[in-house]
Formats: sequence, structure tokens, C-alpha cells
Amino acid sequence: MEPELASKLVNGLKAAGINFVTYLPETRLSQILPLMRQDEFFQLAPVASEAEGVSIAAGAALGGKQVASYMEGTGVFVSTYNLLTIAERFGIPMLLLVSYVGSAADKRNSFLYVRRGTRMIPVLEALGIEYQIVTDGENLETRIKDAVRMMHALKLPVVLLFTGEFTV
Amino acid sequence: MIRYECFEWMAPLIDDHLVVTSLSGQRVEWGHLSNREGNLLLGSMGNALAVGCGLAMALPHRRVVVLESDGSILLSLFNLPTVANLGPQNLSVFVFDNQIYSGTRISEPTATAGKTDLEIIARGAGIEDAVTVRDLETFKKAALPALTGSGLNFIVAKVEESRGHRKIQRTNMDLLENKYRFVRYIEKTEGKPIFLGRG
Repeated sequence: MEPELASKLVNGLKAAGINFVTYLPETRLSQILPLMRQDEFFQLAPVASEAEGVSIAAGAALGGKQVASYMEGTGVFVSTYNLLTIAERFGIPMLLLVSYVGSAADKRNSFLYVRRGTRMIPVLEALGIEYQIVTDGENLETRIKDAVRMMHALKLPVVLLFTGEFTV
Repeated sequence: MIRYECFEWMAPLIDDHLVVTSLSGQRVEWGHLSNREGNLLLGSMGNALAVGCGLAMALPHRRVVVLESDGSILLSLFNLPTVANLGPQNLSVFVFDNQIYSGTRISEPTATAGKTDLEIIARGAGIEDAVTVRDLETFKKAALPALTGSGLNFIVAKVEESRGHRKIQRTNMDLLENKYRFVRYIEKTEGKPIFLGRG
């Protein structure tokens, strides 16, 4: 991801009020991490598994933080149990920042990733989780704000799937 | 030592603490002994420690107490290094280790009935203040500072299998109802809104 796009993404999160982010770094979007670390607005929680990333974020949301969990697409599969038993069952507003590896617009797609990409949407739909696919930086701040408004309205996780320019 | 007698001793010491429980009989027993707005009775395995850690990070001035079981901790062992490195200094973790999966009704053993030692795992993960206790008096000595002081504490209480929770009338409070009661309590005691959005 180009540095300018990483800045745009981080600025968009801040403008939307996201102030607590759990994360397991990966290959596509990790340029956002040094930017968030430099900004005291963000409270960061590195995790060892996306599963606990969801649950820690849920706890922080119940404590009054506006939360996001950043993960690779594979993390959605890993954290399905936590999404269902905690985030969905208790109704926790949470933004999932997911690198959509293996999707059609993933510029680094290969046989390694493609199955993870092709199964992503059916899994999210089976979980009843709203999602938006984001392929470029156009209107990015607005799209993040829309997703955050949606997560608060639903009191449920909402997913932003980043592909295209975000995977360069 | 059984879990219920530990809870009977703990319950009067809970003030404005936020208490998170996992599944198993402890959810039933704690809910029965302590019907507080500050209780979040999660009702799922492998989540209480992580949720409690997030709460502790969001509210660093509040003491968060997590009531866990051996089966639940074993399900999410990756929590231990994560919590150790995040290091919330307002988090007390109690693992009531009965060495069985009690929900099975056949006393199926967990790994702690074999070679596994949760205190050593916690220490290896980086939680320095980890201890194992095996009787009620030792439990009280370890638990009192964990409930009244500061720090990140991890207390493994070796308890006997007990089935008392099966005789307790279970609450009919739904998980969502529990969440809202818990959140409104935090809003009231913290003086800030938790959930945002237009009405």
C-alpha cells in the first residue's frame, strides 16, 4: 500500500472516532500500524490470534472505547467463534478492518490466497455480518464514517474488506 | 476446597469491581451469590480473559476481576502472552481449576489433570504475579491483595469437582439484558455514554 493511502486510511479512522484497535499484522495493510503508533489518539492492542483480537475489542467497547480489529482475511475464519459468541450474541459495535486477500482485485493473489478470498463473502453472509468492499482511496473517510455509523446503529460488527489499491 | 466456598468469601469484597465470568458452573454460582450490575456473565468458553483484558484497558482506573476455568483458559492459551505483554495493572484473573470438563457430566479430564501447569504457563508467558493455591486459607491470602490492590494477578485455585451449581436456580436474564445492565452500570459510575449513535 502506498504511504499516502495508509495515511488516508488512518486519518479516516481517527475522523470516524475509532480510538482502540486490536491487530495481528499481515501483508497488505500493515503500513497503518507505525502511523497509528505515532498518534496517541489510538490505543493499540497487538494480539497473538484474531480470535482474541475480537474479544479484547469487545471488552474495550463495553468500557466505552470506539473499537476496531485489524486482521488479514484469514483472521475472519479464525475469529468466527468469537464473532458469533461475543460480538454478535452480545451485540457489540465493532469495525473489522480486513485485508481481502485472495479476492479478485487482490494484486498479490495466488494459489496461496485465493480460496480464502472466494469463501470470505459466504462466511460473512452466513454470520449475518454487514460488509463493504473498498478498492481505492476515493471517499475513504466518508466510507469509514458510514461503516462506523452502521456499526453503532446495528450494535454489531461491520466489516471493511480492503483490496485493489490497498494490496499493491 | 470447592469453588463455591471461594466465591462465598469473595462476594462481600466486591465493590465497584467489574466481574467477567466464563461458562461452566461458576457462571451459575457467581450469578447466584452476587447479583450485581457490575457482573458480565459471558456464558462462553475461551473469552472471559480477553474480554476482561479489553475492559481493563478501556477503564484503567477500575479493577476488573475475571473468573475463569481450566477448560476455558486452555481453549484460548494465546491469551496469556497477549495479556502479559499488554500488562493491564488493574486485572485480577482467577482460574478455578477442577481439572475436568464438568459440563460433560462424565468428569472428562482436562490437560491440567495430566502434566499441564497453568501457573508455569502463565509465568512463561510473562505474567510474573502467578500463583497456585490449594486450600481456602491460602486462597484468601492470595486473593485479598488481588481484589483490593493493583497489578496483574493470575491465581490458579485448585478446586475439587463440585456439582452444587446444578441445584441452583439459574437466572433467566438474557445475555443482551446482562450486557445492557452492565453497560448502564458503567455509564452511571463513569458518567459517560458507552454506546453511540442517534436515537
